[in-house]
Amino acid sequence: MDIEVLNFIPDNFINPQKRIFLGYLLSGFFIAFLWLYCFRKYTLINSLKLIFDKKVYFSKSSFVDYSLYVFNSLIMIIFSPILLSQLVIATFIFEFMYAQNIIEPISINYLSIFLPIIFTICFFIVDDFSKFLVHMLMHKIKFLWCFHKIHHSAEVLTPMTVFRTHPIEGIIFVLRNAISQGAVIGIFFFISSGELSLVTVLGANFFSFMFHLLGSNLRHSHISISYGKLVEKILISPAQHQIHHSVEKKHHDKNFGVTFAIWDYFFNTLVYSQSNQKIKYGLSDEENFSRNNIFKIYLFPIIECFTLILNSIFKSFKCIYGYLLNLKPHKLNKNNKVLQNENS
Amino acid sequence: MLKINKYSLIKNAAVLGVASLSLSLIATSSSFSDGHIYGENNPVTVKGYKGSKTNSTAYTGQMARQLQHNSLKKIVSKGNPSDPTSNTLNKMLNYFENKDKTKSMAILDPKSSSKFPVKQKMVGEISTGSNLAGKADGRVQLSWPNNMTGADVIRFMIKKASKISGGVDMRNGMNYPQLISKYTMGAVLYHQACDNYLDEKMTASNKPNDKPYKKGAYYTGKEHSWDEAFGYWGAAAHTMTLSAQQSYDVAKKKDLKAADFNKDGVVDLYKEMTYGHAYYASAFDRGGKTDYLKTVTKAFIDGRKIITNADGEKLSSSDLTKIQDLAQVICSNWAQVIAEAVHKYAGSVYKDLGAVEKAISSGSGMDKAMSKYLKHWGELKGFAMALQSGVENKSDTFNRLNRMMGFGPLMPNLSQVVGIDSSGNYLKDQGSSIGYYKLHMIKIQKLMVKEYALKAKSNDVTGGMASLIEKLGPKKSAEND
Repeated sequence: MDIEVLNFIPDNFINPQKRIFLGYLLSGFFIAFLWLYCFRKYTLINSLKLIFDKKVYFSKSSFVDYSLYVFNSLIMIIFSPILLSQLVIATFIFEFMYAQNIIEPISINYLSIFLPIIFTICFFIVDDFSKFLVHMLMHKIKFLWCFHKIHHSAEVLTPMTVFRTHPIEGIIFVLRNAISQGAVIGIFFFISSGELSLVTVLGANFFSFMFHLLGSNLRHSHISISYGKLVEKILISPAQHQIHHSVEKKHHDKNFGVTFAIWDYFFNTLVYSQSNQKIKYGLSDEENFSRNNIFKIYLFPIIECFTLILNSIFKSFKCIYGYLLNLKPHKLNKNNKVLQNENS
Repeated sequence: MLKINKYSLIKNAAVLGVASLSLSLIATSSSFSDGHIYGENNPVTVKGYKGSKTNSTAYTGQMARQLQHNSLKKIVSKGNPSDPTSNTLNKMLNYFENKDKTKSMAILDPKSSSKFPVKQKMVGEISTGSNLAGKADGRVQLSWPNNMTGADVIRFMIKKASKISGGVDMRNGMNYPQLISKYTMGAVLYHQACDNYLDEKMTASNKPNDKPYKKGAYYTGKEHSWDEAFGYWGAAAHTMTLSAQQSYDVAKKKDLKAADFNKDGVVDLYKEMTYGHAYYASAFDRGGKTDYLKTVTKAFIDGRKIITNADGEKLSSSDLTKIQDLAQVICSNWAQVIAEAVHKYAGSVYKDLGAVEKAISSGSGMDKAMSKYLKHWGELKGFAMALQSGVENKSDTFNRLNRMMGFGPLMPNLSQVVGIDSSGNYLKDQGSSIGYYKLHMIKIQKLMVKEYALKAKSNDVTGGMASLIEKLGPKKSAEND
């Protein structure tokens, strides 16, 4: 195998555009330490012991996350070139904007100096909302839940749990990014007449950088940091996302948001975190799912989804057949009058 | 006992060292230049030739035309019709239609200077029998109104330019120095090379290699046809020893050292100068994404070797195939260079239109914005017309190209030239919106990339979008949130 193919493994840790960039991991651990030591009054040793709990990082569940990270990356290398990209959508939107004669780029040119800032904010907000929306659909639509429940099958949470994803779900996320990000880029590129830039830090989107630097990796961790009710109406805290992973039924389909909690607030799916909350992560027992077998993790969702589709088709046929039976032509007598049912 | 003088030993060793170093340097430089210089080591192969010539290479007519083209562009941009004694039209037409039989046609560009001294001052010092008009594309040009031939179009433009100071018609949006120059590069230089010398003259029966090009000539039919095509390309004979940047700087008269290959202190405009298409190839290659200059120049050198090696005999069918393949390499790369220029200036026009829009809304800076816009539009149109002067019949592509840019640029009042009346006046009509015209520029860029597989893609409008997406980081990974 070409060595370059395996470059993604170190690249993910040294590239600030990636979520598990070493800097973000370190800042996450530091925030966790501050939380435990300063707010929860743990001792120095106990804080460190809890943060680097080997039972978490060396658990079976975590090893599945690590394995999926490697295998999924290889699978995505194969599929990436044929997937819809942001550029295709952005170019389409850009040309469409030019083809219409209603909005002219000149009309908002006076905003040009603020445009990179406005663009960076809009990009981040739209991206976050698209993540919320698709995440909600992954839970609400049965076919999609077949794949998304892989992520929820994690029984411990570590920053690597983000990679506990079925490749089909990965493809859905790629399409989501292409559409939402491509649309924003296309529109802003039109507005700015092609002279658009992004506010970046170390080559990464400023807001993504801040989001990750301020402990985004703690969402998938056993350190339960809450922001307090007021802030948790606006921003999703790590503790709120951990609720999202809870086995308990009352927590199901709650807190879909990634950065902003306002989406959950509007869609009535917001749950605030509790101090000292103890949460058991994973799937409920109703979900008959093999959690730690890679082969089954890849295959079962496909079979389950396929079965669901076949069932739906079968049900549809049954419905249509029933409908047709009710519509069968009534017999007519010689005077063209409908014959009544003998029993009626 | 032999007495050894240690000083003599050191001296001998030093002499030996210097001698061997010099020898190795000579060997290195000769092996470097061997086969890298166009026209070098091409003996006369014409059977029965009795003259004094020892080298069969000749492309003087083509270099004279390169200088006539350069000078024509210069004089069009300097025209002063308000001065009745200036005789502007005749001066312009002189460089287009006349041959310098009396060696009185001054070379206006490049002119000798202390930083860049040139060997020749008159076109006739290189060739007395060449003009541009006689070699212009004779086909009807669909890229320009009224079914004119290539020569008619250039003549029409020259007449229009002679009536305007500086050659720029601000009312109709025509920048004649650019239009005339770029279109002449296509209608004469590219057309002659790729639709004549490297096309029909590279067939077995036309200009065969076992006969002189013309009676008494010291070069064969194929040798001279190949040389002429090389002359139209416009590369210095020693191009293979130069970097793209050096070749570019030679054309810009900035690098005497690189130009003066024979180290005589002056630049020989016949074989040490970069012109026209080779200059544009150098410009694109500087970016490092393409290698048009050396690909084409090397193909010319390789082709000439095959012809020379035939030693005045008819070319074998395999040699002929090789030659035709090399001609294909030359002309496809050449077309790419012109298409790259179309792409580049479509991007410039797109940006300029943004500046025009800003000038409209702010009410200031219109003159500067328009001047830039019309210059770039002239270059765009000229190169788009040039592209249609080759051997390829891409009628669908050319029709789309012509339709999208129109016969004239879209003016700020949204008027556009749509034709020419019987008296030679431009006819104008309402054009599209500026936004729509900008969209056309993007589509022109995409058309060029698709049809000519461009790589340099200068001023790529949507390329900025690609690099922005690149900045956002690779998103094709299976990650949950």
